[in-house]
Amino acid sequence: MTATRLTFWHINHEWLFYLLAVAAILIFSAGIYSHMIAWRKEVRLRPLQFHTRRFAHTVLEILTGRRIFMGDPAAGLMHGCILWGFITLFIGTVLVAVDHWAIQFLKGKLYLILEFVLDVAGLLLIVGLLWALVRRYLQRVPRLEKGLTHAGIPLLLVIVALTGYLTEGCRLAAQNPLWGTWSFMGWRLDFLWSDARGASTTYPFLWWLHALISLGTIAYLPYSRLFHILAAPVSVYFQDDPPAIIPVETRETTEEVYSFRQAVFFDACTRCGRCVAVCPATGAGEPFSPRDYILWARDNLKEKYSPFRKKRNPEQKGITPGEGVSSDSIWHCTTCRACLEVCPVYVAVPEAVRQTRSKVVEEGGDVPGALTQTLKKVYKYNNPWEATKTKRSNWSKDLAVPDLTKDTLPDGLCYFVGCTTSMDTRAQSIARSFSAILKHAGISFGTLGRGEPCCGDIARRAGEDGLFEINREDCTALFEEYGISRVVTSSPHCFHTFRNTYASYGALGDDAGKVVFNTRHYTQLLAELVAQRQLRFERRLPVTVTFHDPCYLGRYNRIFDAPRNVIKAIPGIRLKEMPHHGPDSLCCGGGGDRMWQEELDGDPKMSIIRIREAVSVGAELVITACPLCLIMLEDARKSDDLESKLRVMDLNELVVEALGLEQTSA
Amino acid sequence: MNIVVCIKHVPEVIDAELKINKDGAGVVTDDLEFDINEWDGFAVESAIRLKEAHGGKVTAITLGDEESEEALRNALAMGADEAIRFDSQGFEQSDAPGIARGLHAGLAPLAPDLLLTGAQSSDDGWGQVGLCLAEMLGLSYASLVVDFELKDNLIIAHRELEANTLERVELTLPCALTIQTGTNKPRYVSIMGIKKVRRIGIETLSATDFDLEGMIGAEASFMAERILSPPETGGHAEMIQGSLEEICERTAQVIREKGGLA
Amino acid sequence: MEEILVIAEHRQGAFRDITFEQLGFAQQAGALNNLSVTTVVLGMDAAGAEQLQSACDAVLYTDDARFADYNAPDYLLALSTIIRSRRPRLVVMGHTAQGMDLAPVLALRTGLPLITDCLGFEWTETQVLARRQLYAGKIDARLVLKPADTYMVNLRPGHFEGQPDMGKKATLEAFPAPVEDGASTRRFVEYITAETEDVDITDAEILVSIGRGIGKPENIPLVEAFAGAIGAALSCSRPVADNQWLPKTRQVGTSGKTVRPKIYIALGISGAFQHQAGMKNADTIIAVNTDPEAPIFSVAHYGIVGDLLEVLPVLTKKVTSTEV
Repeated sequence: MTATRLTFWHINHEWLFYLLAVAAILIFSAGIYSHMIAWRKEVRLRPLQFHTRRFAHTVLEILTGRRIFMGDPAAGLMHGCILWGFITLFIGTVLVAVDHWAIQFLKGKLYLILEFVLDVAGLLLIVGLLWALVRRYLQRVPRLEKGLTHAGIPLLLVIVALTGYLTEGCRLAAQNPLWGTWSFMGWRLDFLWSDARGASTTYPFLWWLHALISLGTIAYLPYSRLFHILAAPVSVYFQDDPPAIIPVETRETTEEVYSFRQAVFFDACTRCGRCVAVCPATGAGEPFSPRDYILWARDNLKEKYSPFRKKRNPEQKGITPGEGVSSDSIWHCTTCRACLEVCPVYVAVPEAVRQTRSKVVEEGGDVPGALTQTLKKVYKYNNPWEATKTKRSNWSKDLAVPDLTKDTLPDGLCYFVGCTTSMDTRAQSIARSFSAILKHAGISFGTLGRGEPCCGDIARRAGEDGLFEINREDCTALFEEYGISRVVTSSPHCFHTFRNTYASYGALGDDAGKVVFNTRHYTQLLAELVAQRQLRFERRLPVTVTFHDPCYLGRYNRIFDAPRNVIKAIPGIRLKEMPHHGPDSLCCGGGGDRMWQEELDGDPKMSIIRIREAVSVGAELVITACPLCLIMLEDARKSDDLESKLRVMDLNELVVEALGLEQTSA
Repeated sequence: MNIVVCIKHVPEVIDAELKINKDGAGVVTDDLEFDINEWDGFAVESAIRLKEAHGGKVTAITLGDEESEEALRNALAMGADEAIRFDSQGFEQSDAPGIARGLHAGLAPLAPDLLLTGAQSSDDGWGQVGLCLAEMLGLSYASLVVDFELKDNLIIAHRELEANTLERVELTLPCALTIQTGTNKPRYVSIMGIKKVRRIGIETLSATDFDLEGMIGAEASFMAERILSPPETGGHAEMIQGSLEEICERTAQVIREKGGLA
Repeated sequence: MEEILVIAEHRQGAFRDITFEQLGFAQQAGALNNLSVTTVVLGMDAAGAEQLQSACDAVLYTDDARFADYNAPDYLLALSTIIRSRRPRLVVMGHTAQGMDLAPVLALRTGLPLITDCLGFEWTETQVLARRQLYAGKIDARLVLKPADTYMVNLRPGHFEGQPDMGKKATLEAFPAPVEDGASTRRFVEYITAETEDVDITDAEILVSIGRGIGKPENIPLVEAFAGAIGAALSCSRPVADNQWLPKTRQVGTSGKTVRPKIYIALGISGAFQHQAGMKNADTIIAVNTDPEAPIFSVAHYGIVGDLLEVLPVLTKKVTSTEV
């Protein structure tokens, strides 16, 4: 006798099952449709193109669950159990359907192996689900939400799996086939039925119960967090899509806040809370968490577009603050990207936050007072610090730095000093040191003097895109006028803005946006000079230092090694990494325009949390490579009374000290 | 509700170094940044909030040169519906009533239910134009208003008096209010906001459109001449100079001598 | 004899300081130009009017209760009637909440030239000159006025000296003031006085006062540290209160409080006249401001040109280290 199994054995009214299945699929499709509507509405769809490389990457990423393992192997294993259990059971069901409808191939060995594998898969699924519940409620992993509603989905799936086993066990009890042990799980349950007759009577009830719950789960899937099963792959696929740049000019008639890929991101979020665990603002006790933001944004979208959601207020357009997210909270994000670094589904919160801000700014909503003042200063005086345009070149008064707008310097390097480095008394030392180093290395360079505009980072992060575009036009026009092709910046923020944001604009085909200059951050130039032995450190500098990675240098532009290479080139120096370094660096709290909004600070401030970490590794010196980080950390050092314990320095200052140069002798 | 708000485009002088021009009657404004008069910003915000709460229309009007349209654009971006610029040609050396006559000619046809202006301007600081306008329009008025609400046909306003005291007054519409700073938080106007309103036409009026002969400019002014000079700075102040350390050392010494740190 | 007409200002039954400043000014101008000084008191009885008897030549008063609290329509009608009938050479009011409300319309109705926020007024042999300031006190202006029979001035509060007794003996004359018929379109309802809070800055011996230069509220702890070190209370100028960085009750100036501490340290305060009026009688005034032309330096005894955010930390150290 060949081992096999009759589909719909002992089941009457087969048609009813198909009817229910069709209903479930309809409900399922409607759910998918409602998501798609929200996605579509928010889009200015670029023609979607199929990228084989992306697709392959997506498949690999999803099947291995790589990002879920990262940083939390237990979570990876737990999710792996569920994922593989689920996938296997799904494939098994498909095979059974094929077997029933097309060609009967599930017989003999093959059938038995399938039975075995499916029982293993069910076990995996149950183990994974129970493990998930244990992690959430017994281990109480901090990043997970503890509300009882979060137990619903895992319990539902456990019930699906258990009723499956029960059905199987009952069938085996009724049929008592020779090969029953292959279904090792169901087999074990046959003790529940005293005889084959009883089992035969119970079987249809169990079968229908399992069928109903399973179909119900399918119907419910798009309306629940399980939707991530479908959204996550899409999200992973689109992760590298460049951010949506919509020039202000063309924005007038559009209402959308988010881009297509952001809408997908929001749906892919499973509330795993990794972002919450790494968010520096959340860590400092501020009323912002990336997860809450995403859920709020998602609700907002759904409320606006979903055909199934009642609109709370049909008049309402644009942004309305939701529960747990006040309209103020969006200003807390430092745009440090730590959340994106750990998100399994690549939700780019900083970018979405920026877009929300943009909408608030454009609608004349509630922009914090301090930021308002800063933006006004950028607009009027071309810098966020001083109510004057005249002090920009004060730092170089006694230095004789060539002014590229006046002195001709054929093919000279343009040192883009930046607002903060030019204006802030502490940060000015970055410019003085860097100038001294360049002169020492014999590099011909100049600045834009008093005429240097703001790069636009401040406006961009605030969502003041109109102002950003003005800044951008000013900068590109100036570079073009003076034939500047090589730019080096003090600030990772200017660097990022030139290198990436300008480029994204340029890619729109707008002539004025064409980026004809090449930008580097000074750390890259210093590393190059060190590598080419144009900078040589002769003196020993026996100190223990640590390097604080600026977000816009590291996470945004993946420059981790250049500054470290410079530090390591100094003899005698010991570089000790902080627990948070490289891609895991902890934000100083100055990005995303937080520099100008200290009123949002938590207690302790992000910068203080960061500087304490530096103290904890025994560093005598904290080196950084960003004027904002420098100011924030220097401030933290003072306000936390650490002045005797350690110093904060810009990499340029360290190099000047190691070379034995005087800043002023430049 | 037909709301008219008068605004002025003025140079920012808080941190600026002011120079008197050659004829001694004005300051050199080339290096100065201009913006909507601080008080007027609060007046526009009040107007917009009133409109948002009760409906109606807000018209912003200024008397100034072409540059001053920037202030009007600002008001439009904040939410004003229409804007009128009365060209300042012919108003050179006008006194406050002269300016008010021009504005009156321009806005009288609008028959405002409520006229709002800043309590004063940061440049000349006469504090007269708003009230002159009220009088010319035959409106009851209240000055130095820090807070007001509309109740049926009544404006209930709080005027700021001296010594932390306010005065509650009631006015029947139509009326005029001059707004004091701190009344509200004027909203941020984005560049996008300004760009959005660039297609709204600004109506331009000029003195020649009206019969203002002999009522404006130097001819009608009560002033024959104005001579500016730098203020008597320092007075009797001893300016403490030196390095930061020295300055602070000396200052601490002064504080000690004068009875601080006792 | 021609006269100067002083419009007395009172509130809640008491004359305001400005009234005596007006009288002090009028007394001087009268003496120089051979003009008598007549004071108009609306809404007080004879006993009230008598309080001004030693400070002018004549007091005209009306004890009609409808004038007890200032209300523009009533005051305008009464005063324009008096001005038209008496044709004084000069009408003197204060640049106060009342004068600022009243004068522009009164001047327009009576057709008089009005100099608001006036710092000086004189008839020279050839000219009539008035002085005031522009651009928030950063520019002085001398105005040459065209000839007129009557001028009207709103004097800057606190700028002129005056006292109740100037050795005069004024005649008292009651007069019936006209009152508007029917319902007025403006009505005085009540006074509202801000509730007092924790610190009464008028009691403080030393005040550290901050202005716009503080930049943002986060910098306030820096100032508090300094104030704490020298045992001072914290006060502020208008922009700080407008932004609600400190309560309104901490505001020094005409619309806030008038203070007279032993030491007043003005940090980042440019010194608009309204502010000066509230603090210039302090025994010692130390001002820190980035703008060397800031008007605050004209009333300060000691001035420092610099950024308060840079000066304060060092200064705080100095005062604490030498305290021993």
